[in-house]
Amino acid sequence: MKKFVSLFVSVVLSVTFCFIVWVVLGHDYQWELIQPYWGNLFSGWLTTLGVSVAALLLSVVIAFVLTAGQLSDYRVPRFLSRIYVEFIRGTPLLAQILIGYYMIADFIGWDSRFGVGVVILSGFSGAYLAEIFRGGVESVSSSQWLSARAIGLTEGQTYRHIIVPQAVRRVLPASAGQFANLIKDSSLLFVISVHEFTMQAREVNSNTYAAFEAYIPMILGYLLLTFPISMLSRFLEKRYHYEH
Amino acid sequence: MSIEISQLSKRYGATLAVDSVSVNFYEDDQVVALIGPSGGGKSTLLRLLGGLESPDSGKVILDGSAVPAEEEALRQFRMGNGFLFQSFNLFPHLSAIENISLPLVKVHGWAENDATDRAKEIADRFGLVEHLEKSPGQLSGGQQQRIALARAVAHKPGLLFLDEPTSALDPEMKAEVLDLIEELRLSGQRIVLSTHEMGFAKRSSDKVLFLSGGRNLESGQSAAVFENPQSKELRDFLAKVMKW
Ligand SMILES: Nc1ncnc2c1ncn2[C@@H]1O[C@H](COP(=O)(O)OP(=O)(O)O)[C@@H](O)[C@H]1O
Ligand SMILES: [Mg+2]
Repeated sequence: MKKFVSLFVSVVLSVTFCFIVWVVLGHDYQWELIQPYWGNLFSGWLTTLGVSVAALLLSVVIAFVLTAGQLSDYRVPRFLSRIYVEFIRGTPLLAQILIGYYMIADFIGWDSRFGVGVVILSGFSGAYLAEIFRGGVESVSSSQWLSARAIGLTEGQTYRHIIVPQAVRRVLPASAGQFANLIKDSSLLFVISVHEFTMQAREVNSNTYAAFEAYIPMILGYLLLTFPISMLSRFLEKRYHYEH
Repeated sequence: MSIEISQLSKRYGATLAVDSVSVNFYEDDQVVALIGPSGGGKSTLLRLLGGLESPDSGKVILDGSAVPAEEEALRQFRMGNGFLFQSFNLFPHLSAIENISLPLVKVHGWAENDATDRAKEIADRFGLVEHLEKSPGQLSGGQQQRIALARAVAHKPGLLFLDEPTSALDPEMKAEVLDLIEELRLSGQRIVLSTHEMGFAKRSSDKVLFLSGGRNLESGQSAAVFENPQSKELRDFLAKVMKW
């Protein structure tokens, strides 16, 4: 039975793969159609990179605040951080982008699409990172807390010298993975007309009707960003396993 | 040290780990041993004596002063003492020498250089010099426990609490660690320990306390208690642990 399932899976995957290769390779490419638009694609790629890096930095800050809130001894910050994280994780990013831009940013009169996009994306990714960070802190065993107390470290010193350094090693692989997600998620910002990579590719397609020529470079452009991160994440994971 | 414990209790959920223990060791003993079956409450009592946990009721007076209840005073109390756990509890992200010097620098305010010198001095005495740069994961159990012991005594603690210091070790490593403890005793270190090493407890402790089911079933001068156990429980326990 098991053999049959794996055979079936192999066949389905191989056929699908061959079909895609056949479609992609079989297409009659007319690269000259998108010739005038290489600059647009490249600027879209740079915008995606810029949005992602800015959102990475801001999301780490947000995640720190949320993690501190969730681990706080006090109820109110714990409750607020919990509500925030649940809200963000329980609703679609697309909805958050629409609400964030058309309701909140509009209300406060902020109309930088790039800026709003970065903030929304950071708020989204920060909630996921916060869950990763909290897991990391909680995974450091309670015996480490006991030792730290025994030698007379204060709570703050224990976090700083004992808990955080160990937690950081544990959360690095998953955090790298979250950064790769962030890059991919930034493609949704086209709905508020941030001129990022996906939006540029869509425009090239609608101007030229050359779907293959517009979207294949887009796919490769995203892979160029996410693949090294995914390799890094795997590498960190391996090293962590080796250390323990 | 003198130890006065009155009606001390500590509960974990449904388990009464320490059940109204009272004891009066008024003399200035150098070594006090806690013995008894696993789950008898030795570790819990030791954590209460060492100020790592607070009792639900009752109180402890060491050398005439009460173990404090308020957190900062408790921290000061722990700083002056040393604690060693059954499972070593080294900090895995720090090298052996950093494990020893970190408390000296962060808790006791020593200069880095002085702390490093002190760590080397103790490592030399404990036969650990060649292991100082290794991380705990690269050391054997016996080496880890000796590093942990070095960490616990580096600041010349008034009292040294040892919780089954050799229970997790192979016989050969047990002997290494017991030798070091004996050496500390001979140099005048005051020690409260829990142990299953009856030979060691009999030979090296002045007073002994037999704990079973969280209760103090028998206590007093070691010589008398071991030679002439009064309670059936202690006679059975000694017969069992001495059998092999
Ligand atoms: N942190 C804890 N949480 C829950 N139960 C505990 C904890 N520490 C000890 N106990 C329970 O208290 C009892 C006494 O344990 P312990 O003090 O470790 O005994 P001993 O050191 O003599 O083996 C046991 O039943 C144990 O399961
Ligand atoms: Mg124990």
